[in-house]
Amino acid sequence: MEGGGMAAHLSVRGVSKRFGATPVLTDIDLRMARGELVTLLGPSGCGKTTLLRVIAGLTQPDSGVLELAGRDITRLPPYRRNVGVVFQNYALFPHLDVAGNVAFGLKLRKRPKAEIDASVKRALELVHLGALADRPVRALSGGQQQRVALARAIAVEPSVILFDEALSALDRKLRETMQGELRRLLRQIGATAVFVTHDQEEALTMSDRVAVMHRGRIDQLADPRTLYDRPATAFALSFVGQSLRLPGTVVDADGDGSMVETAVGQVRAPRRFLPGSPVIVATRPEHVRLAEGENTLHGTVTGVTFQGSRSVVEIDAGGAVLMAELPGRQALPDPGTPVSFGWPVAETLLFPAEEAA
Amino acid sequence: MRTAALAFSWAMAILACLFLLAPLLVIAAASLSPTPVFDLPVGGASWRWYGRIASLEGFWPALWLSVQIALLSTALSLVAGTMAAAAIVRGRLPGAEAFAAALVSPLMMPGLVLGIAMLQYFRGIGFTASWPALLLAHLVITLPYVARTMIAGMSRFDFTLIEAALTLGCTWPQSVLRVMIPALAPSFLVAGLFSFLASFDNYPVSIFLTDVRTKTLPIKMLQYIEEAPDPTLAALSTLILLGTLVLLVIADRAVGLSRMAGTGE
Repeated sequence: MEGGGMAAHLSVRGVSKRFGATPVLTDIDLRMARGELVTLLGPSGCGKTTLLRVIAGLTQPDSGVLELAGRDITRLPPYRRNVGVVFQNYALFPHLDVAGNVAFGLKLRKRPKAEIDASVKRALELVHLGALADRPVRALSGGQQQRVALARAIAVEPSVILFDEALSALDRKLRETMQGELRRLLRQIGATAVFVTHDQEEALTMSDRVAVMHRGRIDQLADPRTLYDRPATAFALSFVGQSLRLPGTVVDADGDGSMVETAVGQVRAPRRFLPGSPVIVATRPEHVRLAEGENTLHGTVTGVTFQGSRSVVEIDAGGAVLMAELPGRQALPDPGTPVSFGWPVAETLLFPAEEAA
Repeated sequence: MRTAALAFSWAMAILACLFLLAPLLVIAAASLSPTPVFDLPVGGASWRWYGRIASLEGFWPALWLSVQIALLSTALSLVAGTMAAAAIVRGRLPGAEAFAAALVSPLMMPGLVLGIAMLQYFRGIGFTASWPALLLAHLVITLPYVARTMIAGMSRFDFTLIEAALTLGCTWPQSVLRVMIPALAPSFLVAGLFSFLASFDNYPVSIFLTDVRTKTLPIKMLQYIEEAPDPTLAALSTLILLGTLVLLVIADRAVGLSRMAGTGE
């Protein structure tokens, strides 16, 4: 599953791309196993869509090598790559009906008529659109168009399916339904897929691994759990999930980690830095406890929000506003009261200060 | 109040339609005139004027010339106008807007001015063959119609469709043939229709470029009217009207009129 082994199904090595003087992709490496679902996650302008287009063959990289299903595809045009693309606006052909759209790629491959009909039927049934085969595509809803685009992409049995913000045009509820459905369907047909999205929830839900992209580079490529628990950079930390962050300076370091001095107390972290380094100390809101512990800091409660199964406590810690998430029905402090709080050393994250974007 | 306003709007719409259609109805009615003047067929209609069309002096050569010029100038305009539109919409040309305005500008020019200007110009360069001169002049008339329609059509065209076709296995030329041209079919049809009709019934430009042997149908028709004003002309006009209607119906069957006029989704 991890794609790090010898038999990568899709392999991107050292790919770089500039638009004029602006680097859009810098030395990208990505190896995917067959059947793996990987998301490229990042804010707009991070290069994720360009990377997708490079894999599809719609954009030529300046340097680097691409291999797909054992072939070097770096210099191949899109129509020889056997990739499927689901575009953000679906890009359905307006002059063809639903079945015509799905059959488009099969006809180009000169398959026999009976085989095309069977493949179209199968693809439409997979996306639950069997009944709409002869509708014009204009008459369909956004969700249905999305399914047609998907059926069109999978009908030709591509080596990899690429999704360019494919769900972002749908409303929230439909999007969540489609996420689950799409994941099941891709598993069912054993597809290898790359999603591009700026929606971190979608990335965590849909993928085996997530590549967090930032300024044309992959900051971290990891499974969702690792990405959340052990973000590799301050950017990955801030882009995925909620977090608390405090600036500080390393005052001591030993074999077990570093001791950091912040404006509101000292914190131990398992990562080692040279004493004197400016750093960012961070953790996730659910690790915070309002009690003295391994790491104890001091602040003032500025707000409490009850959210049913949990409560969110807002703490002013020397100017930085931190959000702590407390489970269950424990007694909560009133706004304005001073409070000691902390979190386990094992859950303390440390990043160089200059990385914080 | 609202009902009254709505009724008023409806009344105005119906009146406007009547105002626009009345001359056509009158000419169709007059073509059935029982007398040799433009009479309404009250108390007895006659089809004899239709029979006379074919025997009008020089009718067939004039019709054939008009059809030839209209078809050829439309075909050439479709090719040139479409390529120009592609360059303007997609070519990232500096000054694309100015090019577009220049292409469409003959539409804004009075036909008479255009006709005189071309006559002077062709004379000036010693280009006196009237058939090619006529074709060139009609290209100037038809090209703006095509350019305008194709620029509009292409700016609405989603070029992601081409990329989708490429990833599905189309080469570049195939994607243009299988996706772009069919998706733009309504624009081609509108452009072609406008262009054909503009050339076919053009008078003010043609009048300066025809000679005794090379006369287009509209010019011939005006000559008939001056020589012998009888309902044969009404019959001919009615036939041209019917021909236009048939064209529109075929176009409607092919792509849908609402898609052509851009009034429907």
